[in-house]
Amino acid sequence: MSKDKTQKSVQTTGHSWDGDLQEYNNPLPRWWLWAFYATIVFAVVYWFLYPTLPIGRDYTKGIGNEITYTTADGKTVTTHWNTRALFLKEQEEARKRQAVYLEKLAKASYEDIAKDPELSAFVFSRAKVLFADNCAACHQRGGNGVLGEYPNLLDDSWLWGGTFADIQQTITNGRHGNMPAWKGQLSDQQIGDVVEYVLSLSGEPVDADRAARGKTVFMNNCAVCHGQDARGQKFLGSANLTDKIWTIAKVPQANSLDGKRNAVRQVVENGKRRTMPAWKGRLSDTEIKILTYYVHELGGGQ
Amino acid sequence: MAHTTAQPAQYDYAIVRNFTIMALVWGVLGMTAGLYIASELAWPFLNYDIPQITFGRLRPVHTTLVIFGFGGSALFATSYYVVQRTCQTRLWGGPLARFTFWGWQLAILLAAVTYMAGYTQAREYAEMTWPIDILIAVVWVAYLVIYVMTMRNRSQPHIYVANWFYIAFILATALLHIFNNLAMPVSLFSLSSYSLQSGVQDAMTQWWYGHNAVGFFLTAAFLGMMYYFVPKQVGRPVYSYRLSIIHFWALIFLYMWVGAHHLHWTALPDWTSTLAATFSILLLMPSWGGMINGIMTLSGAWDKLRTDPIIRFLVVALSFYGMSTFEGPLMSLKSVNALSHYTDWTVGHVHSGALGWVAMISFGSLYHLVPRLWNTRMWSTSLIYLHFWLATIGIVLYISAMWVAGIGQGLLLRAFDDYGNLAYTFIETVQFLHQPYVVRALGGLFFVSGILTMGFNTFMTIRQGRREQAALQAAAA
Amino acid sequence: MKHETIETNAGWLIVLVMIVISIGGLVEIIPLYFINNTVETVKVDGKDTIRPYTPLELRGRDIYMREGCYLCHSQMIRPFRDEDMRYGHYSLAAESQYDHPFQWGSKRTGPDLARVGGKYSNAWHFQHLMNPRSVVPESIMPNFPWLKEPLAYADIKERMRALKAVGVPYSETQAEYDANVKRFGKDVADKLNILKADDNLIAQATQGNYDGKPDDVSEADALIAYLQVLGTMVDFSKFEEGYFAEFR
Ligand code: HEC
Ligand code: HEC
Ligand code: HEC
Ligand code: HEM
Ligand code: HEM
Ligand SMILES: [Ca+2]
Ligand SMILES: [Ca+2]
Ligand SMILES: [Cu+2]
Repeated sequence: MSKDKTQKSVQTTGHSWDGDLQEYNNPLPRWWLWAFYATIVFAVVYWFLYPTLPIGRDYTKGIGNEITYTTADGKTVTTHWNTRALFLKEQEEARKRQAVYLEKLAKASYEDIAKDPELSAFVFSRAKVLFADNCAACHQRGGNGVLGEYPNLLDDSWLWGGTFADIQQTITNGRHGNMPAWKGQLSDQQIGDVVEYVLSLSGEPVDADRAARGKTVFMNNCAVCHGQDARGQKFLGSANLTDKIWTIAKVPQANSLDGKRNAVRQVVENGKRRTMPAWKGRLSDTEIKILTYYVHELGGGQ
Repeated sequence: MAHTTAQPAQYDYAIVRNFTIMALVWGVLGMTAGLYIASELAWPFLNYDIPQITFGRLRPVHTTLVIFGFGGSALFATSYYVVQRTCQTRLWGGPLARFTFWGWQLAILLAAVTYMAGYTQAREYAEMTWPIDILIAVVWVAYLVIYVMTMRNRSQPHIYVANWFYIAFILATALLHIFNNLAMPVSLFSLSSYSLQSGVQDAMTQWWYGHNAVGFFLTAAFLGMMYYFVPKQVGRPVYSYRLSIIHFWALIFLYMWVGAHHLHWTALPDWTSTLAATFSILLLMPSWGGMINGIMTLSGAWDKLRTDPIIRFLVVALSFYGMSTFEGPLMSLKSVNALSHYTDWTVGHVHSGALGWVAMISFGSLYHLVPRLWNTRMWSTSLIYLHFWLATIGIVLYISAMWVAGIGQGLLLRAFDDYGNLAYTFIETVQFLHQPYVVRALGGLFFVSGILTMGFNTFMTIRQGRREQAALQAAAA
Repeated sequence: MKHETIETNAGWLIVLVMIVISIGGLVEIIPLYFINNTVETVKVDGKDTIRPYTPLELRGRDIYMREGCYLCHSQMIRPFRDEDMRYGHYSLAAESQYDHPFQWGSKRTGPDLARVGGKYSNAWHFQHLMNPRSVVPESIMPNFPWLKEPLAYADIKERMRALKAVGVPYSETQAEYDANVKRFGKDVADKLNILKADDNLIAQATQGNYDGKPDDVSEADALIAYLQVLGTMVDFSKFEEGYFAEFR
C-alpha cells in the first residue's frame, strides 16, 4: 500500500473491484479526527463525574458531583449524583418557590382563600390542570358533566351537598350513587304512575289522576331515600326530584312530554349505580383542598 | 490487478431481481400503511371500529413492512448483487438463496397478517410471534452462510469495504434477533409467548436490540449499499480507504453500547444511561465518517447533479444521514432527551433517518440496479425527477411537522406558570398535535406518490426490457 | 495486525466483528442481574407488596399488548416535577419486575398509564374504551367496541405455567403455595394459585363487575381489571421520600 505523504496527488490503494471500483488513500480529515478526539475527552470526563461503570455488585458513583437535598419532612441527605436525588432537589426548590402560597394555604380556611385575591389566584392556577387532568374525563372540561353519567358541577343542585365540607368529603373519599331498579319490583302500571308523579313535581303538565296514584307508590317506595318532600337526602346522594335539574334522567334532552316520561321511566326501571372515585392517596391534602375550593366556586357552592 | 469484468450471465441476477421487486412491493404497502396510520392520528374516525386496521395493530404492520419488507428486501437485493460483483464470483448456494427469498417474504407476510389478527410480542420492531422468529432465524443463518461462502469464493484477494458493512450487519442482526426474542411459548400450538426477561433487564435487552435494529439494519447495512452504489454511479474512487477502516470498526463497536439512550430517566439504573449517552456522543464522528466518505466521493462530480437524477437521491440520502446522525447524539444527551423522549420529535428523527437516508439511498441504488438487472434503460427519466421531488417535499413536510409537534408537546407538558404550577393540560397537547399531524399526513401522501411513481416506472422498465430481449432473440433466430 | 490481514481473510473479519459487537451488550445487560440495587426492595411489614398479576389481570395485559396500547401509552413516570404532578410518583424498576415483556413504551400519544389504577371508575373505563370521544371529546384514541366480546381463557393455566417457567412466582405445588403465603400473604397467594386459576378469574370478573355486566366475562372485564391495578401496588406513604433514591 502506498502511504507516501510527500506525494502530491493522492494515490489509490491499488486494489480494484468490479472493474472500476477503487479507493483513494486519503488521510483522515484533520477536523474529523480532532472532533473525534474531542468527543473521547468529553466522554472520559463524563465517566468520572457520573455513575458509569459496573463493577462487581456495584458501580462507580462519579466524583465531585454530590447532590444535597432536603425532603418534605425536613431530612437533609447528601448522595452521589443520580436522577432520583436530582428530582428530590427539584421538588425541594419548587417547594421553596411556592412556600409563600403553600404555607398560607395550609392555614387558610376556605373563607380566607376567598378573601385573599393573591391566594385564590394561586389556587385557580393550580386547579386548572389538576381539574382537567383528573376530573375532566368525567365532569368534562368546563365541569358541566354528562347527563346520565357524570353530574354537572356548575349548577347549584348538589347530590351530596355543596358546602366546602361536603365537597371535600366527596373528593377525598369518593361517592357511590345507588338508585335501585324497580322493574319487576313494581308493576308497569305503578311505574307509569310514579313517573307521572315525579314529573309533576317539576311542574310538567302531566295526567293529574295518574300522578295522584303515583304519589302513593312514591311514598311507599321512594320516599325512604328521596324524602317525603322528594327533595333528596344528602347523606344518600339521592337526587332532588322537585327542581328542574336532572342528573340521570335525560329529561332535558326530550322534546315532548312522552319523551320526558320515557326518560324518567328508564331511570326508575333500570336504576343507576355510579361511582365517583376517591382521591385520597392519589392527590395530596393540599390538592384536594384546592379542588374543593375550585369546584365550590365553579357553580353554586353552598 | 485484474480488470476483467465478469459477464452478467456468470452472476445470479434472478435472485436480485426477485428481491428488488419485493422491495418495491413492500415499500408501497408499508408506506401506504404509514400514510394510513398518520391519517388515523389526524382523523381518528378512520379506525372505523375495525380491529384489524386500528392504529395499535396497524402501526407494527407499517414498521415491519418498511423496515424488514422494504429495507430488508432492498438489502438482500443489493447485498447479493454487490457481493457477487465485488467478489467476482457467482452467488454461492443456488436453491439456498431461493430459500432466503421465499422464507423472508413469508416471514414478512405472516408478520403483517398476524399483527392484524392481534398476535404480537409487543416488543417494538420485534413484534413477530415466536414461530415467525424461528423462521427468520433460519433464513438469517442461511443468508449468513451464503454470504460467507460467496466471499470465500471470491476471485479477489481483498474484501471490498461494502462487504464489511454487509457482513457486520448480518452477524449483528443474528445476535440481536436471537437474544431479544428469547421467549416461553404458552404451548406448542399457541402463537402467544412470554419474554424470558422482565422489567428493567427486559427493557435494556429490547433497546439494545431496538437501537441496533436502527444501527445495523437501517444504518450499517445501508452504508454497505452506499459504498458500492455511490462510487459506481459517479464513477470515482471512494474518497478515503483509511477513513473507511476507522469509521467501520468504531461504528460497529460503539453502536452496541447506546441502546439505553431509549431509556434515559426511566427506572433503568443511571450508570447504564451514562454509558449510552457518552457512547452516543462518541458515535457522532464515526457516523459522519460514512457521510464524509460518500460526499467526498461525489465531490468533483457535482456537475452530474444536473444531469443525473440518481445522484440527487444519493446526495440527499447522505445529507439526511448526516443530519439524523447529528440529531441522534443530540437527543441522546439526557437534558435533550428529557424533552424529546415520548414525543413526536423521536418520530421525526426516525423518519429523517428512515425516509431521508434509508429510503432515499435505496431509491438511488435501485434506480441504478433496475436497468442493469433487466438489461435496458429506465423507461422514463422525467419520472425519476418527479419521484425525487415528491420524495424530497414529502420528507421536508414530515420532518418539520414532527419537530413542531414534538418540541411543542415537550415544551407544553413541562411548562409552568408564574405560580410554579403546570400551565397546560394533557388534552391541550393532543389538540395542539392535530395540525402537525395533518401536515405529516400530507407529507406522507407526497412520499407514497413518489414510490408509486417509481413502481410504475420500474414496471414499465421491466416490460421494456422483456420486449427488447424478445426482439433481440427474434432477430438472432 | 495490519488491516490487510482482516481484509483478505473472511474468517478473521467475522471473528473480529463478532468480538467487537458483543462487548457493549455484555457490559450493559449482564450486570443488571448482579448489581444489588438494580431492582428496589419494596417490603411493608416484611411482605412484598408488588405481586404478579391475577389470572384476569394477566389476560387483560395480553389484550393490552394485542391492541397495541403500548404504542400510544407509556407506563413509566420519569422523575420530573411535571410528570410527578401529572401522573404521580415516579415508577420503580420493582413495579415492572413481573412484566414479561416490559411495557414502558416509547411514545406518549396518550397520557402515561403507569398509575392509572383507581383513577377512574370501571364504568368510565368501559365507556371510554367503547368510545373515547363520548367522554373526552378531543381524544384521538380509537374505539375498541369488540372488547365487549367474551374473554377466551381456556388456556389460562398454560399461560401461568409459561410465566412460571420464566420466573413469575405462580404456585402449583403446596410448597410453592406456602412460599407465596410467606412472601405475599394468604390473600395474594390464593390469587397466584395456578390450580384455582379459572375460579379466580371468574370470581374477579363477577365481583369486580368491570364492564357493568356481572354475569359474563368479557375482554373488557380483563383489560379494565388490568388498568385498575396499574401503579397501585406500592403505598408510597409507607416509605421515606429519599428511600428509593438510595437504589440509584
Ligand atoms: C370516573 C369518573 C369521575 C371522575 C374522574 C371524577 N368524578 Fe366526580 N363524580 C363522578 C360521579 C359518577 C359522581 C356522582 C356520584 C353519584 O352521586 O352517583 C361524581 C360526583 C362528584 C361531586 C358531587 C356532585 C354533587 O352533586 O354532589 C363532586 C363535587 C365531584 N364529583 C368532583 C370531582 C372532582 C373535583 C374530581 C377530580 C379530582 C372528580 N369529581 C373526578 C365521577 C367522576
Ligand atoms: C335506595 C335509595 C333510593 C330509592 C329507594 C329510590 N331512589 Fe331514586 N335515586 C336514588 C339515588 C342515590 C339517586 C341518584 C343516583 C346518582 O346520583 O347516582 C336517585 C336518582 C333518581 C332519579 C334521577 C334524578 C335525576 O336527576 O336524573 C329519579 C327520577 C329517581 N331517583 C326516582 C325514584 C323513584 C321514582 C323511586 C321509587 C320508585 C326511587 N327513585 C327510589 C336513591 C333512591
Ligand atoms: C392512537 C393512539 C391511542 C391508542 C392506540 C390507545 N390510546 Fe388510550 N389514549 C389516547 C389519547 C390521545 C388519550 C387522551 C385522551 C383520552 O382520555 O381519551 C388516551 C387516554 C387513555 C386513558 C385515560 C388516561 C388518563 O389518565 O386520562 C386510558 C386509561 C387509555 N387511554 C387506555 C388505553 C388502552 C387500554 C388502549 C388499548 C386498548 C389504548 N388506550 C389505546 C390514545 C390512544
Ligand atoms: C410514506 C411514508 C411514511 C409515513 C407517512 C409514515 C408514517 C408513520 C407514522 C404515522 C408512524 C407512527 C408514529 C407514532 O406512533 O406517532 C410511523 C412510525 C414509524 N415509521 Fe414510518 N412512515 C413512513 C415511512 C417510513 C419508512 C420508509 C420507514 C423505514 C424505512 C419508516 C419507519 C418507521 C419507524 C421505525 C416507526 C416507529 C417510530 C417510533 O417508534 O418512534 N416509516 N411512521
Ligand atoms: C449516531 C446516530 C444516532 C443516534 C445516537 C441516535 C439516537 C437516537 C435517540 C436518542 C433516539 C430517541 C430515543 C428515545 O428518546 O426514545 C432515537 C430514536 C430512533 N432512531 Fe436514532 N439515532 C441515530 C441515528 C439514527 C438513524 C440513522 C436512524 C435511521 C433510521 C435512526 C432511527 C431511529 C429510530 C427508528 C428511533 C425510534 C426508536 C423508538 O423509540 O421506537 N436513528 N435515536
Ligand atoms: Ca419477536
Ligand atoms: Ca417507538
Ligand atoms: Cu437509538
